[in-house]
Amino acid sequence: MSSPAAPLPWAVGVCAGLHAAGSRHVVYVPDNPLSHVLRVLRESYPDVQTTIATREEEAFGIAAGLYLGGKRPTVMLQSSGLGNSINALTSLVVPYQIPSLILISMRGDEGEWNSAQVPMGRAVAPICTAVGLSHTTATSPETTADTVALVGKTAFMTRMAGVCLLPRRLTVPSVRTGE
Amino acid sequence: MTRLDATRRIAAACAGDPIVASLGHPAYDLFATGDRDTYFYTWGSMGLASSIGLGLAMAQPHKRVVVIDGDGSLLMNLGSLATIGWLKPRNLVVIVADNRLYGTTGGQETATAHGADLEAAARAMGITATETVRGGAELDLLLARTKDEAGPWVIVAKVEESAPTVKPPQDCVFIKQRFMAAMGVPEGGTQGGPA
Repeated sequence: MSSPAAPLPWAVGVCAGLHAAGSRHVVYVPDNPLSHVLRVLRESYPDVQTTIATREEEAFGIAAGLYLGGKRPTVMLQSSGLGNSINALTSLVVPYQIPSLILISMRGDEGEWNSAQVPMGRAVAPICTAVGLSHTTATSPETTADTVALVGKTAFMTRMAGVCLLPRRLTVPSVRTGE
Repeated sequence: MTRLDATRRIAAACAGDPIVASLGHPAYDLFATGDRDTYFYTWGSMGLASSIGLGLAMAQPHKRVVVIDGDGSLLMNLGSLATIGWLKPRNLVVIVADNRLYGTTGGQETATAHGADLEAAARAMGITATETVRGGAELDLLLARTKDEAGPWVIVAKVEESAPTVKPPQDCVFIKQRFMAAMGVPEGGTQGGPA
């Protein structure tokens, strides 16, 4: 386990990536792994404004308003919250072509212990495909910054939201070590 | 006061300001008052008009951002009041056209027909600039106050359903690109430039 004093490399990569994509606004509903991202943002990126939403579809609404006002928003959520977001995605984000960098902290994938998280976790990629959102997975701490930056830059250049999945084998180190 | 009458008063008082309209009849009535580039008509995402307005108010803090929401729509996203009450954007004006029914879907009653009080909900979430109005002159006075007095505002306008006969433009990307140009932030890809 990393000591609390050391930021986790994957979380550092996420922050570097979203910053490199030009995003200075992060709208989110938290989960445990994302708390590491929020900590790095708080400690190292004072120019990034973070806004907590009560529900994931609200986060997509706020992000849409930020974009309409000329900003480049990032939306962070747990995979379970994708279920709360589908109407916002299919009737606002996709048809209006409102781009954002969407970071999804995965539950229900490899290493999951809670069976209630599994059905939605398995459905995340098919849902993204079905509603017309491209999705990419960050596979290692070393490549996370590049992957996140590329997904974000592509979203803002093409004006189509892009999803970067953060799997548990990336965000929860104990999944790999079997602790 | 019908919703169309209230919407005419809002359009007159807020000429030049961005207005985000909730889907269905609120958006139809806004279009009926005379189309403007500064109008963002939603065609879906029921409940999110106030959230879109919040994001816009954060991005453009020097503009008065107006939202025309419905009672049924706001009831679907009451959490938005909590977020607005927390962030307190001074430049956000949320007007709830409260006809006490789901007007676009056939007139089924909402909870505001049975005691739900959206102004009280806003106050409970920490929003202090709130009013409930029933008359047109009263609404005009209040809209004038929102120019000078800090928000966020939540104004519940008790209205009667007004059965719109026209629809706004239906091309979502057109609505967005026109709106962003009017906001002074034309969307990348619409302007041309160096190769």
